[in-house]
Amino acid sequence: MTKDVFEEEKTEEGFEPLIVAYCCNWCSYAGADLAGTSRFEYPTNIRIVRIMCTGRMDPALVLETLRMGADGVLIAGCHPGDCHYQKGNFMMEKRYDYIKKAVKSVGIEPERVRLEWVSASEGGKFAALIREMTEQIKELGPSPFRAVDNSK
Amino acid sequence: MNMSDKEKLRRKTDATIDALKSPRLRWVMGRSQIKMEIDEGKYRKAVDSIMQEENERHMITGALKEKGALTVEELAELTGLQPSRIVQHVIALRRTGALTEAGEKDDQYLYKLA
Repeated sequence: MTKDVFEEEKTEEGFEPLIVAYCCNWCSYAGADLAGTSRFEYPTNIRIVRIMCTGRMDPALVLETLRMGADGVLIAGCHPGDCHYQKGNFMMEKRYDYIKKAVKSVGIEPERVRLEWVSASEGGKFAALIREMTEQIKELGPSPFRAVDNSK
Repeated sequence: MNMSDKEKLRRKTDATIDALKSPRLRWVMGRSQIKMEIDEGKYRKAVDSIMQEENERHMITGALKEKGALTVEELAELTGLQPSRIVQHVIALRRTGALTEAGEKDDQYLYKLA
Protein backbone atom coordinates (compact mmCIF):
# COMPACT_ATOMS: atom_id res chain seq x y z
CA MET A 1 0.00 0.00 0.00
CA THR A 2 1.85 3.06 -1.20
CA LYS A 3 0.87 6.67 -1.61
CA ASP A 4 0.84 6.25 -5.42
CA VAL A 5 -2.10 3.86 -5.22
CA PHE A 6 -4.14 6.64 -3.66
CA GLU A 7 -2.81 9.39 -5.93
CA GLU A 8 -4.17 7.88 -9.12
CA GLU A 9 -7.85 8.40 -8.24
CA LYS A 10 -7.53 12.02 -7.14
CA THR A 11 -9.65 13.69 -9.79
CA GLU A 12 -11.76 16.63 -8.69
CA GLU A 13 -14.51 16.22 -11.28
CA GLY A 14 -16.40 12.94 -11.35
CA PHE A 15 -15.18 11.84 -7.93
CA GLU A 16 -14.19 8.21 -7.91
CA PRO A 17 -13.82 6.90 -4.34
CA LEU A 18 -11.05 4.62 -3.32
CA ILE A 19 -12.07 1.82 -1.00
CA VAL A 20 -9.61 -0.48 0.70
CA ALA A 21 -11.09 -3.86 1.56
CA TYR A 22 -9.45 -6.08 4.15
CA CYS A 23 -10.77 -9.54 3.36
CA CYS A 24 -10.22 -12.63 5.44
CA ASN A 25 -8.39 -15.42 3.66
CA TRP A 26 -10.91 -18.17 4.34
CA CYS A 27 -14.26 -16.59 3.43
CA SER A 28 -14.37 -13.08 2.03
CA TYR A 29 -11.26 -13.30 -0.13
CA ALA A 30 -12.61 -16.52 -1.60
CA GLY A 31 -15.96 -14.72 -2.03
CA ALA A 32 -14.21 -11.93 -3.93
CA ASP A 33 -12.45 -14.56 -6.02
CA LEU A 34 -15.79 -16.21 -6.77
CA ALA A 35 -17.26 -12.86 -7.79
CA GLY A 36 -14.44 -12.59 -10.32
CA THR A 37 -14.66 -16.13 -11.68
CA SER A 38 -18.48 -15.92 -11.81
CA ARG A 39 -18.06 -12.68 -13.80
CA PHE A 40 -20.17 -10.56 -11.47
CA GLU A 41 -19.51 -6.95 -12.32
CA TYR A 42 -18.51 -4.55 -9.57
CA PRO A 43 -16.78 -1.14 -9.54
CA THR A 44 -13.02 -0.97 -9.79
CA ASN A 45 -12.83 1.47 -6.87
CA ILE A 46 -11.78 -1.28 -4.54
CA ARG A 47 -8.31 -2.46 -3.54
CA ILE A 48 -8.35 -5.80 -1.77
CA VAL A 49 -5.87 -6.66 0.95
CA ARG A 50 -5.91 -10.26 2.07
CA ILE A 51 -5.54 -10.89 5.77
CA MET A 52 -5.65 -14.24 7.52
CA CYS A 53 -8.56 -13.31 9.78
CA THR A 54 -10.51 -10.16 10.67
CA GLY A 55 -9.48 -10.92 14.25
CA ARG A 56 -5.92 -9.91 13.40
CA MET A 57 -7.01 -6.47 12.14
CA ASP A 58 -5.34 -3.76 14.14
CA PRO A 59 -7.83 -0.94 14.91
CA ALA A 60 -5.04 1.58 14.24
CA LEU A 61 -4.65 0.17 10.71
CA VAL A 62 -8.15 1.37 9.78
CA LEU A 63 -7.30 4.95 10.75
CA GLU A 64 -3.91 4.71 9.06
CA THR A 65 -5.60 3.58 5.85
CA LEU A 66 -7.98 6.56 5.99
CA ARG A 67 -5.09 8.87 6.83
CA MET A 68 -3.21 7.73 3.76
CA GLY A 69 -6.11 8.86 1.60
CA ALA A 70 -8.61 6.01 1.29
CA ASP A 71 -12.23 7.22 1.14
CA GLY A 72 -13.62 4.09 2.70
CA VAL A 73 -12.49 0.96 4.48
CA LEU A 74 -14.29 -2.35 4.24
CA ILE A 75 -13.52 -5.16 6.63
CA ALA A 76 -15.00 -8.41 5.39
CA GLY A 77 -14.90 -11.67 7.28
CA CYS A 78 -16.61 -15.01 7.78
CA HIS A 79 -20.16 -15.14 9.09
CA PRO A 80 -20.40 -15.34 12.90
CA GLY A 81 -19.83 -18.93 13.90
CA ASP A 82 -17.96 -19.79 10.68
CA CYS A 83 -14.57 -18.34 11.63
CA HIS A 84 -11.68 -20.60 10.66
CA TYR A 85 -10.03 -19.62 13.95
CA GLN A 86 -13.26 -20.06 15.98
CA LYS A 87 -13.72 -16.54 17.35
CA GLY A 88 -11.68 -14.13 15.21
CA ASN A 89 -14.75 -12.44 13.72
CA PHE A 90 -16.35 -12.07 17.16
CA MET A 91 -13.20 -10.27 18.31
CA MET A 92 -13.45 -7.97 15.29
CA GLU A 93 -17.13 -7.31 15.91
CA LYS A 94 -16.35 -6.01 19.40
CA ARG A 95 -13.36 -4.03 18.20
CA TYR A 96 -15.47 -2.52 15.40
CA ASP A 97 -17.46 -0.43 17.90
CA TYR A 98 -14.26 1.16 19.13
CA ILE A 99 -12.96 1.68 15.60
CA LYS A 100 -16.16 3.56 14.73
CA LYS A 101 -15.88 5.69 17.86
CA ALA A 102 -12.22 6.46 17.12
CA VAL A 103 -13.04 7.42 13.52
CA LYS A 104 -15.90 9.63 14.69
CA SER A 105 -13.74 11.29 17.35
CA VAL A 106 -11.30 12.38 14.65
CA GLY A 107 -14.13 14.00 12.70
CA ILE A 108 -14.59 11.45 9.92
CA GLU A 109 -17.99 9.99 9.06
CA PRO A 110 -18.12 6.53 10.69
CA GLU A 111 -20.06 5.30 7.63
CA ARG A 112 -16.74 5.25 5.78
CA VAL A 113 -15.81 2.14 7.73
CA ARG A 114 -17.88 -1.00 7.33
CA LEU A 115 -17.73 -4.49 8.71
CA GLU A 116 -19.50 -7.13 6.63
CA TRP A 117 -19.76 -10.88 6.58
CA VAL A 118 -19.20 -12.56 3.22
CA SER A 119 -18.75 -16.31 2.89
CA ALA A 120 -16.74 -18.10 0.22
CA SER A 121 -19.91 -18.95 -1.69
CA GLU A 122 -21.29 -15.40 -1.73
CA GLY A 123 -19.65 -13.96 -4.83
CA GLY A 124 -22.88 -12.19 -5.77
CA LYS A 125 -23.19 -10.67 -2.32
CA PHE A 126 -19.60 -9.41 -2.48
CA ALA A 127 -20.19 -7.72 -5.84
CA ALA A 128 -23.45 -6.16 -4.61
CA LEU A 129 -21.74 -4.98 -1.44
CA ILE A 130 -18.95 -3.24 -3.37
CA ARG A 131 -21.50 -1.59 -5.68
CA GLU A 132 -23.53 -0.38 -2.70
CA MET A 133 -20.54 0.85 -0.71
CA THR A 134 -19.08 2.69 -3.71
CA GLU A 135 -22.38 4.54 -4.14
CA GLN A 136 -22.51 5.31 -0.42
CA ILE A 137 -18.97 6.75 -0.41
CA LYS A 138 -19.72 8.74 -3.57
CA GLU A 139 -22.60 10.38 -1.69
CA LEU A 140 -20.35 11.14 1.28
CA GLY A 141 -17.74 12.73 -0.99
CA PRO A 142 -13.94 12.61 -0.80
CA SER A 143 -12.31 11.86 2.54
CA PRO A 144 -11.11 15.00 4.39
CA PHE A 145 -7.67 13.39 4.46
CA ARG A 146 -7.33 13.78 0.72
CA ALA A 147 -6.74 17.47 1.33
CA VAL A 148 -4.17 16.79 4.04
CA ASP A 149 -0.49 16.43 3.38
CA ASN A 150 0.21 12.92 4.58
CA SER A 151 3.96 13.18 4.67
CA LYS A 152 5.15 12.34 8.15
CA MET B 1 -10.21 23.07 4.23
CA ASN B 2 -7.76 25.69 5.49
CA MET B 3 -4.27 25.03 6.81
CA SER B 4 -5.11 25.09 10.52
CA ASP B 5 -8.03 22.66 9.99
CA LYS B 6 -5.74 20.33 8.06
CA GLU B 7 -3.14 20.59 10.78
CA LYS B 8 -5.74 19.89 13.48
CA LEU B 9 -7.09 16.88 11.59
CA ARG B 10 -3.59 15.50 11.11
CA ARG B 11 -2.70 16.00 14.80
CA LYS B 12 -5.95 14.46 16.01
CA THR B 13 -5.59 11.45 13.72
CA ASP B 14 -1.97 10.83 14.70
CA ALA B 15 -2.94 11.05 18.37
CA THR B 16 -5.84 8.60 17.87
CA ILE B 17 -3.61 6.15 15.97
CA ASP B 18 -1.04 6.33 18.79
CA ALA B 19 -3.82 5.90 21.38
CA LEU B 20 -5.11 2.79 19.60
CA LYS B 21 -1.59 1.39 19.69
CA SER B 22 -1.13 2.20 23.39
CA PRO B 23 -0.85 -0.79 25.75
CA ARG B 24 -3.40 0.71 28.16
CA LEU B 25 -6.20 0.91 25.61
CA ARG B 26 -5.28 -2.42 24.01
CA TRP B 27 -5.41 -4.09 27.39
CA VAL B 28 -8.91 -2.89 28.24
CA MET B 29 -10.19 -3.56 24.72
CA GLY B 30 -8.82 -7.09 24.92
CA ARG B 31 -10.61 -7.59 28.23
CA SER B 32 -13.91 -7.79 26.38
CA GLN B 33 -13.01 -11.32 25.37
CA ILE B 34 -12.96 -12.46 28.95
CA LYS B 35 -16.10 -12.91 31.01
CA MET B 36 -16.09 -9.91 33.27
CA GLU B 37 -17.63 -9.28 36.61
CA ILE B 38 -19.02 -5.85 35.60
CA ASP B 39 -21.99 -5.38 33.30
CA GLU B 40 -21.54 -4.51 29.62
CA GLY B 41 -22.77 -0.91 29.98
CA LYS B 42 -20.32 -0.05 32.75
CA TYR B 43 -17.50 -1.78 30.88
CA ARG B 44 -18.16 0.14 27.65
CA LYS B 45 -18.35 3.43 29.54
CA ALA B 46 -14.98 2.70 31.13
CA VAL B 47 -13.38 1.87 27.77
CA ASP B 48 -14.86 5.03 26.19
CA SER B 49 -13.43 7.21 28.93
CA ILE B 50 -10.01 5.52 28.68
CA MET B 51 -10.11 5.96 24.90
CA GLN B 52 -10.83 9.67 25.26
CA GLU B 53 -8.08 10.08 27.87
CA GLU B 54 -5.56 8.25 25.71
CA ASN B 55 -6.47 10.37 22.65
CA GLU B 56 -6.04 13.59 24.60
CA ARG B 57 -2.78 12.46 26.20
CA HIS B 58 -1.35 11.47 22.85
CA MET B 59 -2.35 14.87 21.47
CA ILE B 60 -0.38 16.49 24.30
CA THR B 61 2.68 14.27 23.91
CA GLY B 62 2.48 14.66 20.12
CA ALA B 63 2.51 18.46 20.45
CA LEU B 64 5.47 18.31 22.86
CA LYS B 65 7.35 15.98 20.54
CA GLU B 66 6.80 18.38 17.66
CA LYS B 67 7.39 21.72 19.38
CA GLY B 68 9.60 20.93 22.40
CA ALA B 69 8.83 22.51 25.79
CA LEU B 70 5.39 24.16 26.04
CA THR B 71 3.20 25.85 28.66
CA VAL B 72 -0.34 24.71 29.52
CA GLU B 73 -1.74 27.66 27.59
CA GLU B 74 0.28 26.80 24.49
CA LEU B 75 -0.75 23.16 24.77
CA ALA B 76 -4.41 24.18 25.02
CA GLU B 77 -4.05 26.28 21.89
CA LEU B 78 -2.35 23.51 19.93
CA THR B 79 -4.63 20.68 20.98
CA GLY B 80 -7.93 22.54 21.25
CA LEU B 81 -8.48 21.16 24.76
CA GLN B 82 -9.49 23.17 27.83
CA PRO B 83 -6.51 24.35 29.97
CA SER B 84 -8.08 22.67 33.02
CA ARG B 85 -8.17 19.37 31.13
CA ILE B 86 -4.53 19.85 30.08
CA VAL B 87 -3.56 20.37 33.73
CA GLN B 88 -5.27 17.09 34.70
CA HIS B 89 -3.33 15.24 32.01
CA VAL B 90 -0.07 16.97 32.88
CA ILE B 91 -0.48 15.83 36.51
CA ALA B 92 -1.16 12.26 35.40
CA LEU B 93 1.68 12.24 32.87
CA ARG B 94 4.11 13.71 35.41
CA ARG B 95 3.14 10.99 37.87
CA THR B 96 3.96 8.29 35.32
CA GLY B 97 7.23 10.04 34.52
CA ALA B 98 6.34 10.83 30.91
CA LEU B 99 6.62 14.61 31.44
CA THR B 100 9.00 16.84 33.34
CA GLU B 101 9.17 20.54 34.06
CA ALA B 102 11.52 22.52 31.84
CA GLY B 103 11.76 25.96 33.39
CA GLU B 104 9.29 28.84 33.19
CA LYS B 105 7.91 31.15 30.53
CA ASP B 106 5.66 34.16 31.24
CA ASP B 107 5.12 33.01 34.85
CA GLN B 108 3.96 29.58 33.65
CA TYR B 109 5.70 26.26 33.90
CA LEU B 110 7.10 24.78 30.74
CA TYR B 111 6.70 21.05 30.25
CA LYS B 112 8.70 18.71 28.06
CA LEU B 113 8.80 14.98 27.38
CA ALA B 114 11.01 13.12 29.83
